[in-house]
Amino acid sequence: MSEEIKFTVNGTELEAKSGELLIEACENSGIHIPRFCWHKRLEPVGMCRMCLVEVETPRGKALVPSCTTEITEDLVVDTESEVVKKAQEGILEFLLINHPLDCPVCDKAGECPLQDQTMAYGPGESRFVEEKRHFEKPIPISEIILLDRERCILCARCTRFSDEISGDPLIEFIQRGNKTEVNTFPNEPFRSYFSGNTVQICPVGALTSTSYRFKARPWDLKSISSTCNCCSVGCSIELNTSQNKMLRILGEDNEFTNQGWLSDKGRYNFDYLHSENRVLNILEKNDDSFNEISTSEAIKKITSKVKELKNPNIKFLIGSHSTNEEYFVINQISNHLNKDKFLSKEKSNVYFCDDLLSRGYFEEKYTQATFEDLDKSETIVLWSEDIKDNLPVLYLRIKKAVRNGAKLIVFGHTNTAIAGLADFYFGKDVVSNNFDLMLNPAELKDFKNNVEGKRVTAIVGKAAVSQKKESLDKLVDYLNEISELKLFNSFSKGNTFGALQNIHEIKGLNEFSTEFDNEEKNIVFTIGVNPVNSSYFGKAIKENLIAADYVISLDLFINDTTELADLILPTTSLGEKEGTITNMEMRVMKQNKILPAPGSTLSEWEYLIGILNAMGINIEYKNEIEINADLVRDYSDKESLPTFDNLNKPSNLYGVINTKPINITTKDLKKQDFPLLMVRRLYGDSSTQINSPSISMLGSERFIELNSSTAEKYGISSKVGNFIQGSNSISIKIDINNLLPDDLVIAPINRRGFENIDPSKDFEITEARNREELSVN
Amino acid sequence: MTWDSKLIKKAEEIIKLYPQKRSALGPLLYLAQNKEGYIDDDSVVEISNLLGITEVQVRSVASFYTMYKQEPTGKYLLSVCKSISCEINNSKEVIGGIKEFTGLSSNETDPEKTFTFEEVECIGACGGAPAVQVNYETIEGVTPEKALDLCKYLKEEEPKVIVADDLQEKFGGIKSFEWAIEDNSGTSTTAPGFQIIGTAEEN
Repeated sequence: MSEEIKFTVNGTELEAKSGELLIEACENSGIHIPRFCWHKRLEPVGMCRMCLVEVETPRGKALVPSCTTEITEDLVVDTESEVVKKAQEGILEFLLINHPLDCPVCDKAGECPLQDQTMAYGPGESRFVEEKRHFEKPIPISEIILLDRERCILCARCTRFSDEISGDPLIEFIQRGNKTEVNTFPNEPFRSYFSGNTVQICPVGALTSTSYRFKARPWDLKSISSTCNCCSVGCSIELNTSQNKMLRILGEDNEFTNQGWLSDKGRYNFDYLHSENRVLNILEKNDDSFNEISTSEAIKKITSKVKELKNPNIKFLIGSHSTNEEYFVINQISNHLNKDKFLSKEKSNVYFCDDLLSRGYFEEKYTQATFEDLDKSETIVLWSEDIKDNLPVLYLRIKKAVRNGAKLIVFGHTNTAIAGLADFYFGKDVVSNNFDLMLNPAELKDFKNNVEGKRVTAIVGKAAVSQKKESLDKLVDYLNEISELKLFNSFSKGNTFGALQNIHEIKGLNEFSTEFDNEEKNIVFTIGVNPVNSSYFGKAIKENLIAADYVISLDLFINDTTELADLILPTTSLGEKEGTITNMEMRVMKQNKILPAPGSTLSEWEYLIGILNAMGINIEYKNEIEINADLVRDYSDKESLPTFDNLNKPSNLYGVINTKPINITTKDLKKQDFPLLMVRRLYGDSSTQINSPSISMLGSERFIELNSSTAEKYGISSKVGNFIQGSNSISIKIDINNLLPDDLVIAPINRRGFENIDPSKDFEITEARNREELSVN
Repeated sequence: MTWDSKLIKKAEEIIKLYPQKRSALGPLLYLAQNKEGYIDDDSVVEISNLLGITEVQVRSVASFYTMYKQEPTGKYLLSVCKSISCEINNSKEVIGGIKEFTGLSSNETDPEKTFTFEEVECIGACGGAPAVQVNYETIEGVTPEKALDLCKYLKEEEPKVIVADDLQEKFGGIKSFEWAIEDNSGTSTTAPGFQIIGTAEEN
């Protein structure tokens, strides 16, 4: 397949791999062939005929579509002949027959392939005088996507994407001939985690998103490349702004990570940047209200508090949206405080806010995997929290690998969304409701046969907060022994791996709540986290924060956690700060700044350095570049350090893989036998999402999942009901999922109402037969 | 569940005939059409569940083929050929006559639900052009006058069963050859081939 062969284009001899498509081979040699339907990441269909070229055949020259023609030895191609030009003019004249030419009001105008190619290859005028097609416009095909059918040129990019790539074909061609249109089935909207990609690949303005429609013209946009921090895949993105407002996020085609695609969360979760609810000034709590104060006053208050409390514990609760540079500074402040005159040793600790954090598999005997390994592996083993919801673009990569022949083996009860792709799904017969492995992996014949001696990529992490790490150890150690194992630690939150790399000692939330001692003096910093409404430990943390002597929150919004703070320091967010982040492959990538910091917000590191300096500790950083220069020193591969300079080089545009020693201290929960499995869904009531109007409605539905025999046990036959625990009653949608074992109920931890539910305690589910029986909340 | 257990059982038998479930889509659409006279949304949902594909994928196929009806048809479906052989032999006037009699244009059904009229491409009866089909039973060698008589007959007599040979004798002319299809419910398998709506079973 990969043997190089020669072919001739427009009289020039070129080389390509045999089996490569003509359009792609020409593109690689710098010869552009116009096209609408062909997309590098989709299967070719030859729908639009725009890429017709002339090739020499035994029967003379012939026009063939270059997107479905494979290169053969000594192929002679002409892409610019008179015949080709005439064909291109003809195709464009046909495509424009029904295209409305409403460019002046179309969002795509200015970056529209149809517009650009009509200029470059079109006939200049049309002979068409008849009436064009008319449709109701626009029709919403989901909450976030709109469709103008008359603009559609039927290239099938969107329908192919939803079928081949994301696997939720909810849009299709309806009717035929000149009545053909793209549409959804009635009452079955295009609800996909990846629907935004269809807007990006639409070659005309037929698909638009509610968040960008009529917001800007492309030529007014400023843009910069950056990296998404919604999950730890680290997709390459392009930020588009106009007049200092973020208007759009596009996916960039990074061969190593996202290959052009994004999840809708990553793409549309940005409106919050300009929300009127955002905190823009430092707020100090006075009884029940907040007063605005200046930065210097705030820093003075913090330092005097530290002195006043005499040798307090200073704890840092950190989130996953900071940059590596910010984590590095958090690490420095914690280290210095431990050494400092104000504090005795071990008084300052850093806790990472992810219920599912475990020690992971970072020892030398385990080999770190990359996303490319997925494509090369024979078997993929998955045991983790729900991949589709928490690492959506990794789901796409797994789906691609499976399409190309890799076997997929899934363990446990959380990844039921991916079970349809799996060759083997080991559910209730293998994994207990406590997420223990009930059998020795070697006893599972289908498993053993597919991993023994094979190239295996495993994605492993705790699937539930109550899961013991040992149960994972059994599987991982078996795999490590028997197969050529490469492994991902599936910590899914944003820049988790950046925090792990840059903070020398990191602990989990279990440690925070067990180590917190009310008898001692405590100062707590919360940095970009809201554990109170998104964690199993939320209730305990809330009590701890109320009991703490002083709480300082560095955050964007007033939320369930920050409202408990004595001081809120407003921080910057995506696009407002520069730095590096590390994804789950240990690939370090650049985040870039395109927006000014709004109001009097500062970056997290600026506050922290200010506080350190005020306490008489002399660390000086003027900007992120200086911090970056300091933090790259401990990376193991000295040849390709992730310095800003290095990452800005075109060859490193998509990041460099580099490692640091990682030290995590977490203990398993003592409690077991949870009747309720709390999972994190892609959309939820996070303070960024509820302040992003274009996607806020997506995370509002509350639901539970259970199998039909469990439903019978609760006496449920309707699809709605109430979930009741103590004084909490939540109206819910009830989904039947027969992949779940008996007596296990799944509920979303990140949906409003469920933050007060204790999964280790009993609960009731009642069905509601009419509206009156639903609890109001 | 809008399909009864008998229909579901039939559907499952059909699905078993194919190595891939979704290949049974065509025959299952016939089942839906035989049940309701057209492909209704409930049947689309049913088929999508049976085949494990999405509803819109079923609708996409159902709406592509013109002989899967998207809307209920009248008691008699009049299909008049407009392709080349019939066109040469004056199908235009046949079409015009029927249009005038029924007051319908192509793909329309009258309010009484007696007639649905459609102009179709070649129905394979070029030897006996122009040709007309009533509920897919072919009558060849039709003249504009005979076509009107046919319509009047259908409207006034409202025959319960439509049989090509009877109508051919009454209203037809030159015939291309003797039609020899007796089993029109699928010759070699249990999968339904193309069937006449409503009237096939009685026949």
